[in-house]
Amino acid sequence: MQELDQWKEHISHLLNVANDYIREIPSDQLYAAAAIAVFTTLILLLLRFFKRAKSNTIVLTGLSGSGKTVIFYQLKDGSTHQGTVTSMEPNEDTFILHSETLKKGKIKPVHIVDVPGHSRLRPKLDEYLPQAAGTVFVVDALDFLPNCRPASEYLYDLLTKGSVVRKKIPLLILCNKTDKVTAHTKEFICRQLEKEIDKLRASRSAVSDADVTNEFTLGVPGEPFSFKQCSNTVTTADASGLTGEISQLEEFIRQHVKP
Amino acid sequence: MLEQLLIFTRGGLILWSCKELGNALKGSPIDTLIRSCLLEERSGAASYNYDAPGASYSLKWIFHNDLGLVFVAVYQRILHLLYVDDLLAAVKREFSQVYDPTRTVYRDFDEVFKQLKIEAEARAEELKKSYSNPVVVNGNRKNQVTWKGDGSEGKRNGTGGGGGGGLKNDGDGKNGVKSESDRDGDRFVVANGNNNYGSNLKSNGGNGNGNVSVNGKDNDSLNNGAFDVNRLQKKVRNKGGNGKKTDTGVTKAEPKKLVKKNRVWDDKPKETKLDFTDHVDVDRDADVDRKVDYLAKEQGESMMDKDEVFSSDSEDEEEEEGDDAGKNSNKVDAKKKGWFSSMFQSIAGKANLEKSDLEPALKALKDRLMTKNVAEEIAEKLCESVAASLEGKKLASFTRISSTVHTAMEEALVRILTPRRSIDILRDVHAAKEQRKPYVVVFVGVNGVGKSTNLAKVAYWLQQHNVNVMMAACDTFRSGAVEQLRTHARRLQIPIFEKGYEKDPAVVAKEAIQEASRNGSDVVLVDTAGRMQDNEPLMRALSKLIYLNNPDLVLFVGEALVGNDAVDQLSKFNQKLADLATSPTPRLIDGILLTKFDTIDDKVGAALSMVYISGAPVMFVGCGQSYTDLKKLNVKSIVKTLLK
Ligand SMILES: Nc1nc2c(ncn2[C@@H]2O[C@H](COP(=O)(O)OP(=O)(O)OP(=O)(O)O)[C@@H](O)[C@H]2O)c(=O)[nH]1
Ligand SMILES: [Mg+2]
Repeated sequence: MQELDQWKEHISHLLNVANDYIREIPSDQLYAAAAIAVFTTLILLLLRFFKRAKSNTIVLTGLSGSGKTVIFYQLKDGSTHQGTVTSMEPNEDTFILHSETLKKGKIKPVHIVDVPGHSRLRPKLDEYLPQAAGTVFVVDALDFLPNCRPASEYLYDLLTKGSVVRKKIPLLILCNKTDKVTAHTKEFICRQLEKEIDKLRASRSAVSDADVTNEFTLGVPGEPFSFKQCSNTVTTADASGLTGEISQLEEFIRQHVKP
Repeated sequence: MLEQLLIFTRGGLILWSCKELGNALKGSPIDTLIRSCLLEERSGAASYNYDAPGASYSLKWIFHNDLGLVFVAVYQRILHLLYVDDLLAAVKREFSQVYDPTRTVYRDFDEVFKQLKIEAEARAEELKKSYSNPVVVNGNRKNQVTWKGDGSEGKRNGTGGGGGGGLKNDGDGKNGVKSESDRDGDRFVVANGNNNYGSNLKSNGGNGNGNVSVNGKDNDSLNNGAFDVNRLQKKVRNKGGNGKKTDTGVTKAEPKKLVKKNRVWDDKPKETKLDFTDHVDVDRDADVDRKVDYLAKEQGESMMDKDEVFSSDSEDEEEEEGDDAGKNSNKVDAKKKGWFSSMFQSIAGKANLEKSDLEPALKALKDRLMTKNVAEEIAEKLCESVAASLEGKKLASFTRISSTVHTAMEEALVRILTPRRSIDILRDVHAAKEQRKPYVVVFVGVNGVGKSTNLAKVAYWLQQHNVNVMMAACDTFRSGAVEQLRTHARRLQIPIFEKGYEKDPAVVAKEAIQEASRNGSDVVLVDTAGRMQDNEPLMRALSKLIYLNNPDLVLFVGEALVGNDAVDQLSKFNQKLADLATSPTPRLIDGILLTKFDTIDDKVGAALSMVYISGAPVMFVGCGQSYTDLKKLNVKSIVKTLLK
């Protein structure tokens, strides 16, 4: 207690000294100092705002088991290490793509986020989407048919998110696991997804949930849905996370996060 | 034998697995564990059972929250390995010393593990010798069950597991955990925690949770008292054995010994009461003709279609309250910390959170949940799960423990209440339509919760979206029920299928569905008699109805007013449906309709209890008297209300 009192005394003494010191300075100098302080903070804020506008974030989404985490580590380390299990938390890191590590010169690193596909963890997506420069929707091309409806529902939700529509965040539908011969083609997958979303459009526009509000509707009314109708660009690509064939994905990333 | 031991990050990257054990696991026990247990806020449970064709595993896990690591051990369930907990703790301790976030290969850990395993096995061996008699420690918080090498116990379990062999072992099937399994995923059984819970309800219905509704208050306070004592004991214990975990194997294992003495339900003879619903099979089609009158008028848009604007103005208030609660509980806590040291702590960030640090905040949170009508059992489990996810974590700078716990709980609640699968009924209806068969919804529930009224609301909502609805009056039990539904049908101008009373409801439903496919109805809404969850004959009839008609959706209608009873109702409904089912893959409850939501003010806990216990989402919320009073559950506002 005594120590505390001593401290208090000391502090009040310091305050007094500071007060005296300030009084000695002419007031216009004081104003100038204040103005400079305000100015620098403003500039800092502006810089930050500017930085955010040129985001380097790429978000990996897709159903659980589609291979997002494998792809994340392929991008980062060029290896799948000892395999993966279902993610309980997002993986996120800022790095230079593994395939670019040999290149010379200064390369801008990419911030990649892998958001788990478990439906309970999907609310996490909203944290990352607003700052995304691009999103990748990973689809399991091997086990596609049984997952077609859930995948379409997830994709529908993604495409109607306010942040995606307003900022026109480009989307890549990445058909993963094409190393296996029984994998479906990206054309087929795209067609099926479009068909499913077309049906969802009818039922979703009818039910607008109180919480999962789809702020925007998709496509042109009266026409069958196609990804071309989206306000943001939607492209498709093949990949195999397991064998490391992810060049098309890297192309997409570098298209939206310039090196 | 230990089948596998895995170390992975919460992000999902495997860091180390035991190559030496190397057995390829059958099925995907780890993924299933994560998806249906750890991510469902059940990580407070002691172990998890996984069944795949040709294998039945038990899994145990431990978290290192600060480093974000998960350690999972998999072993054959028939072998009740005693050293698993011990081994996991040792592995956690050793591994966290070599862990480096930038490193992904830890082959040098192989040797360390080998040594740890040998040590753990030796300790277990010793333990077995020194404790040949099981000791009962009551009121263990985790309900953890460890089998001692006691002859009779071992034998019984041995036969149970061996008999199951392929799919599900019999012993577990009857233990009332089926309510945990979900229809569309792998079947799973959360072992001891929930298991015991079911048993409590059943076996000591006379003195325990059974009569909560009668003297709920006394009971609560009693329980709370007991709870505190346990905590204290636990705290003391923790302190004692903290530093030297390795050589205190014996003392550590001791509190876990709760021998399954009260497994009465296992040998309890099946009740064989007269099944009178099945005897009234006599066909009396007096008025087979469907009464279809068209009288009613438009009622306006159903509230299902209106977006709810969610205001967040009371944010600050909530914050303050939170702090208050935190302070109060701090006062309760014996270790009162000075203002200065706590201030300093919150600036510097505390070393690592310990269970005892979390407890006051968790206790306050639990009480708050309970004042919101969350069943005590559920509040307890949630707090355990939150504790498991925070223990060992570093407290961030400028945060208080109470607010950290608050945030963790909020996230957990959002996760639970977010539906696991889509609840877009209209889409399902359209899908069924494409296959040219009617979409069948069966409404089930206890008496007087408003099944018929809310059935009418759903009918009205569907009708608004150009779906041809038909009602089926299968409440052939309560007099007046058919007339009540007929009135609704007439007002809404919806066809109704009825066969009067004294007919098997299962058959009526069957005929109704046939009629619906004939006349091109898209949806059949089946009204059933309200029944108490303990009424065996009526539950059997319901099981038959569901089995015979294989509906697309079994909707449980429950009152939002119920507290602890919610858990009882739902778990027993599910359990009875599972037990009494004649098919190997029983149908359980797929969704929940909460009624009388307008009458409960901020006591929204039933929603949480019901969703947690059944794993089924709340699909509709009934909130008034008129047909338009049907809404969707707003997860955000519920969570906010729960934590207010
Ligand atoms: N054949 C093949 N299998 C793959 C490929 N990519 C991933 N897998 C497998 O798919 C499974 C799931 O991969 P994850 O990366 O863990 O899936 P995820 O999308 O992160 O799943 P969540 O974390 O649950 O959302 C793993 O067993 C991988 O081995 C691929 O290109 N080909
Ligand atoms: Mg993952």
